[in-house]
Amino acid sequence: MSPLFLSLLGLGATSLLLWLLRPHRFRRIGWLAALPPALIAAWIIGQLPHLAQGGEINAVIAWSPRLGLELALRLDGLSAFFGLIITIIGAGVALYTGYYFTDEPRQGFFYSLLFLFMASMLGLVWADNLIALFIFWEGTSVTSYLLIAFKYTDKAAQDGGRRALLITAGGGLAMLVGMVILGTQAGTYSISQLVATPGLAELPYATAALILILAGAFTKSAQFPFHFWLPGAMAAPTPASAYLHSATMVKAGVYLLARLHPGLDDHPLWFWALLLFGGATMFVGALHAIGQYDLKGLLAYATVSQLGVFVMLLAFADEVAYTAAIVGILAHALYKGPLFLVAGIVDHATGTRDLRRLANLRRELPLVTVAAILAALSMAGTPPFFGYVAKELLIEEFIHAADVGQTLVGWGGLIVAALAAALGVGAAYILLWEAFLRSRADDDHPAHVHHAPPLSLVLPPLLLTLLGTAIPFFFPTIETLLFDAPISAVAGAETHVHLALWHGVNLVFLTSLAAIALGFGIALARRPLRRLLAAWPAWLHGTKLWDRFIYNVYDLAAWTTRTIQGGTLAQQATITLGAAVVVVIAALGMVNWPADFPVDWGHLPTLPEVILVALAVLAALITVRTQSRLGAIISIGVVGVAVTLFFVFYSAPDLALTQLLVDVLTLVLLVLVFYRMPPSKLPPIPTGWKVRNLLISSLMGLVGFTLVMFSAGTPFAPSIADYFLLNSVPLGHGANIVNVILVDFRGFDTLGEITVLGIAAVAGYSVFRAGLFRSRPPVSIPGDPEDRADKE
Amino acid sequence: MSELYLRLLDRLLTPILFLLAAWLFLRGHNAPGGGFIAGLAAAAAIQLQILAVGDNVVRQRLGRILQPMTGIGLLCALSAALIGIAQDGFFKSVWVFIPLGEFTLELGTPQLFDLGVMLIVFSVVVSFLLALSRPRKGTLE
Repeated sequence: MSPLFLSLLGLGATSLLLWLLRPHRFRRIGWLAALPPALIAAWIIGQLPHLAQGGEINAVIAWSPRLGLELALRLDGLSAFFGLIITIIGAGVALYTGYYFTDEPRQGFFYSLLFLFMASMLGLVWADNLIALFIFWEGTSVTSYLLIAFKYTDKAAQDGGRRALLITAGGGLAMLVGMVILGTQAGTYSISQLVATPGLAELPYATAALILILAGAFTKSAQFPFHFWLPGAMAAPTPASAYLHSATMVKAGVYLLARLHPGLDDHPLWFWALLLFGGATMFVGALHAIGQYDLKGLLAYATVSQLGVFVMLLAFADEVAYTAAIVGILAHALYKGPLFLVAGIVDHATGTRDLRRLANLRRELPLVTVAAILAALSMAGTPPFFGYVAKELLIEEFIHAADVGQTLVGWGGLIVAALAAALGVGAAYILLWEAFLRSRADDDHPAHVHHAPPLSLVLPPLLLTLLGTAIPFFFPTIETLLFDAPISAVAGAETHVHLALWHGVNLVFLTSLAAIALGFGIALARRPLRRLLAAWPAWLHGTKLWDRFIYNVYDLAAWTTRTIQGGTLAQQATITLGAAVVVVIAALGMVNWPADFPVDWGHLPTLPEVILVALAVLAALITVRTQSRLGAIISIGVVGVAVTLFFVFYSAPDLALTQLLVDVLTLVLLVLVFYRMPPSKLPPIPTGWKVRNLLISSLMGLVGFTLVMFSAGTPFAPSIADYFLLNSVPLGHGANIVNVILVDFRGFDTLGEITVLGIAAVAGYSVFRAGLFRSRPPVSIPGDPEDRADKE
Repeated sequence: MSELYLRLLDRLLTPILFLLAAWLFLRGHNAPGGGFIAGLAAAAAIQLQILAVGDNVVRQRLGRILQPMTGIGLLCALSAALIGIAQDGFFKSVWVFIPLGEFTLELGTPQLFDLGVMLIVFSVVVSFLLALSRPRKGTLE
C-alpha cells in the first residue's frame, strides 16, 4: 500500500489506540504519541529532493468510478509543504498534550480527536479529488467543533463550538455546490487535471462556482466578516488552539485558494474578492488584537490578520506574491503555534491568561520566556527572524504591484499593509512586555506561578521557535528543497526563488523599519488605544449579529412547522395533499396533450377486476360514511385486501404478501390508536368541511389516476426489466427478482430507506417515551370539529 | 389478563409465526419472501403476544434490545455494502460457495443485507406497537 494511505490509516489507528489506552495513566505518553506524526514528517522530508525536481507521488483507490468518485491522493510540492507543517507541529502538539493534561481522564478522548483531525487535515492537503477533499474538509470541521466544545459544561465552549461549526460547515456546503458545478462543467473532479484545464475560468457558471468555493475558503480561513468564529474558538484547550486554530486548519482555506490559483486566478472576480476580503481581514484582525486582554484572544486576532495577509497575497499573479504567501505560511506556523503553546503554559502555571494580571514571568519561567521572546520577535518582523523575511516579501509585493502599473492597489495596499504590520508589531510587543518583561501588573491581584511546568511541556514551543529562528540562516541550502516546489505549484509553472535576509537599504527595508517603529509607539500608547477599541458598539460585533441571524432562523423554522405541520391531522393532510395536487397538475400542464398521452383504450377490464374495484370502492365509501370507528377500521382493511388480491391477479406474490402483512399490522395499530381516544361516537362534521374534504380527495384521486395512466402509456427509455430478468440468477444468485432488486441491484436505495426507517423509529419512540403524546392537553382550534363536538 | 382463546392462540401461533418468518427470510432470495416480509411476519407474532399477555410483559422481554437491534440491522446492511469495496466496489456483492455433497450453499453479502433489513423492520414495527399499546395515563400506570 502506498505510504500516503498508510500515513492516513496510521493516524486513524493511533487515534483509536490512544483512546482505548486511557493514556492519562502514563506519564510519558506524549513521547509515544509524537512518534507517528514525526515518522510521517521524516518520510515527507525524504521525498523532498524528488519533489523539488518536479516529481510527484500518486495513489488512487477507486471508490465509485462511474460517479467519478475516487480516493485519489497526490503528494506534490504544495501538499508536501503543508504536510510538513501539519506533521511537525502535530508532533510538537502531541508531545505537549501528554504533559498539558495531567490526571485528566478525558485526555484519551482529546488525543483521539487530535489524531482524527490530523488524519483529516493531511487527507485534505493530499487529496487530488474535489469530493474527497470536501469529505476531509468536513472531517476537520467536525473534529474542530468537538475540540472547541471539549469542555462541554462551559457555556463559552458550547457557543464557540456551535458558531464555528455552523460557519465552517455551512461554508463547506456552499463550497461543495461550487465544486460540483466546476467538476461538471470541466468534466473532471481531479484537482490536478482541473487546474490544468485551459480556460477553466471562462466555463459556463464559473462565476457562481468561484463565489461558492470562495465562501467555503473564506469561512474556513476566518475571513472578514466571518472572522469572529476564530476568537470564539479559543474556548478550546490550548493544544487544540495552537494546532487547529493557528497552525493548520484555518489555513485550509488558504491552501484551497493556493491549490486552485493556477486554474482560476484569471477570473476577473478572483483578484478583487481576494484582495478586498483579505485586506479587510488583515486590518480588522490586527486592530482588534490590540484591544484584547486575553493572551489567547490577542493571538487569535493576530492569526486572523495573518490569514487575511495570505488570502490577499494569493490575489496577485506574480512570483513575489507566491513566495510571500508560502514563506509567510511557514513562518507564521513556526511562531504563532509556539506562542499559543506558551500561552497554554502560562495559563497552566498561573491559572490565568488575563494580561492585566500577568507580569514578570521572566523570573519564574525563564525557558518559556526565551521561547516567547524568539517567537514574538519573529511575529513582530524583527530582523533577522523568519517573520521579518515574510513581512519584507509582503511589502515588496505591493511595491512591485505599483511598479507594474497597479498604482492604486500598490500604494494603497502598501499603506494598509504597513499599518496592519505596525499593529501586529504592537500586539507582539504588548504580549511580550506585559506578560513576561515588566515587573508590575496592572491589576491589584497579580497572578503567581503555582506550579512550574515540566521541561517536556516547554520543549515543544522552544524547539519549534528554534527551528523557525534557524531557517533563515540556512536559506541557500534549503530554499530549493523547501520552497521551489510549492511556489511552482501555486504559480502553475516552474519557479526558482532566492531568499535572503539582507537586501540592502531600500524602500522595502525602510518601510519595514517604519512599521517596527510605529508598532513600538502603538505598544507604548496601548492604554488609550484599548479604551478607544472598547468603545466599539456592542451590537456591532460579528458574534452578536450572527447570533441574531441564527435566532431568526430558529424562529422561521418554528413558524414554518407551526403553519404547515401544526393544528389537527385534517389541516395537515389538507396542506400536504393540496400541495401534491398543485404540483402534479402543474407538471401535467407542461405535457403535450394528447400527443404525449398514448392510452390504449382497447383493453376492457375483466370480470374479476371489475368485482375487485367495486369491492374496494364500496369499502372506501363505508369507511367514510360509517358512524363507528371500529367499522371504519375494518372497512379500510377491506380496501387493503382488495388491493392485495389485485397483486395476486397480476402474479406479484411478494407485493401481495407485503401488502397483506402491512394491512394487518396497520389495522391493529389503528385499533390501538383509536383505543386511546375518548370513547365517543364520531363527531359530526360540518357541511363546509365535508365539501372541502370531498374536493381534495376527488382531486387527489383524479391526479393519481392520471399519473398512473400517463406513466403506463409513456414509453420512457428502454425498459430495465429485461436486464433484471436476464441477470437475476447469474449475477444476483437469486430467482426472486423482487428480492434481488431490493437487496442487490438496488441495494443502495434500500439502504437509504431502512436508514430513514431507523431514524423515524428512534425519533418516534423517544416522542412516545417523553410522554409528549400522552400528557399534552388536546389542542383546540376554533372551527375544529372535535372542538365543536365537545361543546355540544 | 386477556381472553383465554387469545392466550391459547398465542401459545400455538407465536412459534408458528416465528418459524414462518424464518422460512420467509431463508427462501426470500429465490421465492416470494425476503427480509422485509419476514420482519413484518415476526412483528405480527409480537403483536399477538401483546394482545395475549399484555404490553408490559412483552416490553420487559424485548424493550431493551429494540433500539440496539435497529442499530445492528443498519450495521449489517452497511457492512454488506462495505465488504464489496474489498472486492469490486461499494455495494458489489460478494459470494461464497460451500459445496455440501450434491448441493452448493451460496452465501453472499445480499443475504447479510437482507438480514439487516429484517432486523430493522422488526425492531421498528415492534417499537411502534409497544409505544402505541402503552395504556393511557391514569388507567394503569
